[in-house]
Amino acid sequence: MMQTDRLELLTGAHTAVIAGWRKVMMWWFIVTDGLLFAGFLASYGYARLLAFDWPAQSGVFSLKYIAAMTFVLITSSATMASAVEEARRSARDGRRSGALKYVLPTALGGLAFLGMQAYEWAHLIGEGARLTQNPWGAPSFGAYFFLLTGFHGTHVLTGLVILLTTAVRLAKGITKEEGVEMAGLYWHFVDLVWVFIFTLFYLV
Amino acid sequence: MKTYWITWSVLLVFTAVMLWADSASLPRQAFVVFMLIAMLTKATIIAANFMHLKAERLPLVLTVVIGLLGMGAVLWLLIAPDATRIHEIVTKYGPR
Repeated sequence: MMQTDRLELLTGAHTAVIAGWRKVMMWWFIVTDGLLFAGFLASYGYARLLAFDWPAQSGVFSLKYIAAMTFVLITSSATMASAVEEARRSARDGRRSGALKYVLPTALGGLAFLGMQAYEWAHLIGEGARLTQNPWGAPSFGAYFFLLTGFHGTHVLTGLVILLTTAVRLAKGITKEEGVEMAGLYWHFVDLVWVFIFTLFYLV
Repeated sequence: MKTYWITWSVLLVFTAVMLWADSASLPRQAFVVFMLIAMLTKATIIAANFMHLKAERLPLVLTVVIGLLGMGAVLWLLIAPDATRIHEIVTKYGPR
């Protein structure tokens, strides 16, 4: 094992952290993109501490609805993890990948999440929420709501494009095990970010 | 595959408990601490099991954990006291 690792290091097949370069780059991307959200959330926390009349979330949102959105996203993460596992197993057994049957429900979950978010936006806009004002309290509430959920929603949309591309490429037999794993890492990251937004913006 | 669905159910249980805590009238400080712990636990479960971080080598794990959580914490600790101070000043002397 050590011999293989050393050889792979010498040939440049692996980086010093002993993972394929694609995976390392993907993780670097996730860390930097995650920092963008960290900055966003820290800024939101600043606004929260500063505000005197931050609206009570339970008075603005239907938390059951947000919980349903969370359920959809977590479920799609589980199907994506199954897709990655299936791709790994089929590569190991030398058979055609059956990951497609897990990637498609994942994409469906992403689509459902986006639809639910669009409905939530439309509902709140209908009630008077804007980027600069809202009927419930601190003006920055609307700005942080639209920017945080919008930025996350854009990531879900990007993930959906990646999933659909992966699905087409899987059907054509182009995408290999690693391609599914990269799509999976991105999709789980989107789920991971939602955990923070759900807790910090909707609950705390 | 089974592991992922166990992970899925654990995440759902955590979400349900967080929603319960939101409806229960806990003291504010205890509530925030509880939520932060639950949030970080959920994030760890996703990263470890779904993203397979538990199977990666330590340098990669540390890059991600320190890179994200460490930097996030530093960022927060740098600006949070300022917000609290401004809040206290406004409370004491009024908005103008």
